[in-house]
Amino acid sequence: MAQNPLEAALAAPQSPGILDRRLVIVTGKGGTGKTCVVAALALAAARAGKRVLVVETGLGEAVPPLLSPGASPVGYAGRELQPGLTALHIEPYEALAEYVGLQFGMRAMTDLVFRNAAFRQLMDASPGWRELITLGKIWHLREQERFDLVVVDAPATGHGITFLDVPRVVISAVRAGPLRRHASWVEDMVQSPDETLLLPVALAEELPARETAELVTRLREDVGVAVDRVVVNAVARSPLPPGAPDLAARLARLPAQLDCGGLPAPPVLAACLGHAVSRAELNRHYRDLIGRETGLPVVELPYLDGGVSGPDDLERLARALVEPPVRIAAESTS
Amino acid sequence: MKPPVPSALLESRRILVCVGCGGVGKTTISAAVALEAARRGRRALVLTIDPARRLADALGTGPLAGGEPQEIPRERLRALGVPDDGALFALMLDVKGTLDSLVERFAEDEAARSRILDNRIYQHVSDALAGSAEYSAMEKVYELSQLERFDLIVVDTPPSQHAIDFLEAPRRLLEFIDSRLVKLLLHPALSAGRFGFRLFQRSAFRVLQLIERVSGLGFLEDVSEFLMAFEGMAEGFRERARRVEALLLGPEAAFVLAAGAAGESVQHGQALLGRLEAAGVPLAGVVMNRVRTWPGGGPPPAQIPPAGRAAEAQAALAQALAEDAGDAAFPAEDAAAAAIDATRRHAEVVGRQARACDDLHSYALRRGLFWRIVPELPRDVHDLEGLAQIARHVFAPEEGRGEAPQ
Repeated sequence: MAQNPLEAALAAPQSPGILDRRLVIVTGKGGTGKTCVVAALALAAARAGKRVLVVETGLGEAVPPLLSPGASPVGYAGRELQPGLTALHIEPYEALAEYVGLQFGMRAMTDLVFRNAAFRQLMDASPGWRELITLGKIWHLREQERFDLVVVDAPATGHGITFLDVPRVVISAVRAGPLRRHASWVEDMVQSPDETLLLPVALAEELPARETAELVTRLREDVGVAVDRVVVNAVARSPLPPGAPDLAARLARLPAQLDCGGLPAPPVLAACLGHAVSRAELNRHYRDLIGRETGLPVVELPYLDGGVSGPDDLERLARALVEPPVRIAAESTS
Repeated sequence: MKPPVPSALLESRRILVCVGCGGVGKTTISAAVALEAARRGRRALVLTIDPARRLADALGTGPLAGGEPQEIPRERLRALGVPDDGALFALMLDVKGTLDSLVERFAEDEAARSRILDNRIYQHVSDALAGSAEYSAMEKVYELSQLERFDLIVVDTPPSQHAIDFLEAPRRLLEFIDSRLVKLLLHPALSAGRFGFRLFQRSAFRVLQLIERVSGLGFLEDVSEFLMAFEGMAEGFRERARRVEALLLGPEAAFVLAAGAAGESVQHGQALLGRLEAAGVPLAGVVMNRVRTWPGGGPPPAQIPPAGRAAEAQAALAQALAEDAGDAAFPAEDAAAAAIDATRRHAEVVGRQARACDDLHSYALRRGLFWRIVPELPRDVHDLEGLAQIARHVFAPEEGRGEAPQ
């Protein structure tokens, strides 16, 4: 990524770097490659000598297969996947059972209650507790200080807001008692700017770009979580070599039947190159738009043709992620 | 089984539900479907539940006011071939507003109504917490289906991990209302007194004790007050939920799966298809969105440049470009290399996506579902013209035959 020293200095204010936090919550709309960012960030931290924990909050496990292909699921207990890099999967019922057990030391009774079909029914129908207990478990893991950095694969945007907003809602809905107290601990964790960072992941396309701008505004206003950069994923590089900005038009001008050593005909070459050029221009335009609308510096990750398909790809993303973010100039004309 | 023709669904159904994993362009497909219905002279409404308000962007209407259908101006539609009897509306779901009006409809009296609306638990559950969007979306679909105002309602489902949360919402609501635990919360004296402590009740009381200990004093009181207020409405709710389910699983509705063509996206789509089938959903077809295609159609060549001819090919292309430029300063070698590289990469993506789609395609065909491909466009779709372009692919008369006649 082209960057001059002045830009780098501007982009790195006094706030701590991405690997110096204790908790990074990665969020983004489905399809933005959030999971790869989580894996790459964890890898970068582990390479920097940190003890890292990756937390999955989804239905299945997506991050562990990226970090350790073919490994069995890490489950709620978690497992070290690489030296210094542990992953676990928070299953809400298990987290709830653990919480209740820890709180009241009534494991036998808790188990009895959890097996109760009516209780399951009540819980299945009740909104909010999954988010709260998941954040609570994260709080607890962080308190144990077994890890320098916890990276959370948060639910997709939309639900991502509610995910972080639940402690606040509980605090205002519950009058007193342990639940309210614990929710306020969790809220303090979310709102601690030196320790906790929310990392939004966006794609440089029209709708995801607008949605990201909206997300960042709401996070700042409603949730009070620190956001200091936006990751713009899968940014395609321009295929054009220097000195040939109009290459697609030149290819289109060549005789349509021309045979160049068995290559596809020039109109096909022109269409393929043209497609790649438009994609790159579009990505650049929306990358800049994200930067301007959020007022945040941008971390750009490259587009990979085949997606993230191996450890090399992940290493590449990991290196790009810890680069200082770049501030997009206010009156960029691209 | 012969697959249905997508355009026939616009005539024969009143509700089309667009399902799919996040990021596949569900919102765009939904809006394109509604636009096509309008072009065929129907009064169509697209309902989005997406809290990110992407539909407004795609329709170019600006922000949609929550809760009220907004009509897309006729003059803009006329340019796209929408006849005078057709119309297009967009509605952004207002979760809390929808639940509030449900309470107002079913509450027994004024006192019950304000008891619910003023309850702390209700105020928070109805607005801020995950899950309430699905409940109220179902309600809104039902309410809209009862109006004569719209011929067709296209539903853009929320981006949900479960994806069929949406469908299960009414059933879960019913189970919740009917659950013994809730009954116990409502009538603790009754259960404890008249029937004594049977085994179930003992464990249920333990559950309640536990919740009280965790949540602190007063919480259960609020919950119980909330549920008590709701109890009078339970029958209304139950009836409603039954009707919603019957509507969505019945002959008036059809489901369309939207999926992406990149490797993982196809797998997610396939998994979702299986779950929808298991849930007894009336599935009509699959729309593969943003599929990379080869210029001029057909499969790309197996290798670019052909094996053993790389140097020859690049030299020939460079020479052709140099002759065309007639300028020694033009970097013909670099340009030829860049063109070949871009073409090779394009072909690889086309081939990879086609292979990824194969299984899902034959699965869909075996089940008599239609299968349509929307090519990846060089530009993003974020206006009505772009939606019309997408609709032409979704409503192509036959699979693989390109665009529908104008």
